[in-house]
Amino acid sequence: MAQSDLDLAALKKVGMIQQKQKDYFALRLHAVGGDFTAEQLRKIAEVAEKYGKGQIHVSTRQGMEIHFVHYTHLENARLELEQAGIAMGACGPRVRIVVACPGESTCRWGIIDTKKIAKRLDQAYFRQDTPHKFKMGVTGCPHNCAKATENDLGVMGGILPAWKRESCIGCDLCVSSCPVGAISRVDGEYRLDESKCIYCSICTSNCPTDAWYPRKKGYIVWIGGTMGKIPRLGTQLKKLIENEDELFKTIDKVIRYYQTHGRKRERFGHMIERIGEEKVKEDLLNGAGD
Amino acid sequence: MGQEIKKSLDLHGVVCPLNFVKTKLALETLNAGDWLEVILDEGDAMLNVPRSLKEEGHRIVKVTSLGNTYSVVVEKGP
Repeated sequence: MAQSDLDLAALKKVGMIQQKQKDYFALRLHAVGGDFTAEQLRKIAEVAEKYGKGQIHVSTRQGMEIHFVHYTHLENARLELEQAGIAMGACGPRVRIVVACPGESTCRWGIIDTKKIAKRLDQAYFRQDTPHKFKMGVTGCPHNCAKATENDLGVMGGILPAWKRESCIGCDLCVSSCPVGAISRVDGEYRLDESKCIYCSICTSNCPTDAWYPRKKGYIVWIGGTMGKIPRLGTQLKKLIENEDELFKTIDKVIRYYQTHGRKRERFGHMIERIGEEKVKEDLLNGAGD
Repeated sequence: MGQEIKKSLDLHGVVCPLNFVKTKLALETLNAGDWLEVILDEGDAMLNVPRSLKEEGHRIVKVTSLGNTYSVVVEKGP
């Protein structure tokens, strides 16, 4: 096979990206939330040594890339990886691999099962065609370690706190540790300014007597975040969705909306700017969504 | 709230997790129910130390803002 026979766009779709050294390709691998088993890593290392230069690059999306694979070895390398259960990634105008923090599985701040949500997102949308690249991130809480707000679609765990007088000892720790000053003490009573609250759970976690407790727990959805040439932080679409199926209904609407209204090579966030944030939110929350 | 503070510790400028370690060591010299006062910086210290103390079974009884630091009074757990 000659180099000129290669369908570069088709290769990109499955994460095989031509390097500037034209005979060589980077093999971008599939991952969900950056989770790999030791066995998978051994296989990736083996393939990198056998077909590449033993060089592996860790991507910004928690994925792995094997660099310097000669174009004549692409199919063999891919086959060997796939036989070991390692799928190829994605490149070009489509849904990319899903980023996630470890969430409630190991983190003491984690409010939601990020791995479960990331897997479900991956199964539903990975590699679907979109007007431009489309990135999704799942973060366990508003500390936002997985940077949900820098993704085209971000899912974030959150809790809405409430206060019960009978357990409170009036220590004022909540007032002192709320990062946004949403809690104040008025006439011996603690009050939450919900318009300021970021649902982070610091008050409920810190409270020595659990007088502050999580009244509601759920998912916050952010849309239109992007870094790159024209950065834009995500817009909050909906907060504290308590039901996973409702979350996915919302996400489905978001992705279909972008697929319908986005222009070629227009990132979702820039599409939102063009159409208008209020209009997009209205369409997604109350409209038919197409 | 009338108990006397048995010991006071100024942890201004002491970073995490050393501030927590020093608090823990100071608590070890006290009896259950005794009060210890620590001065903690705003920010990370106030985010982490009170929560770690709660996890170890101690109880914050009073927090007072002192500008960019806080006085945190903690009661040693059983």
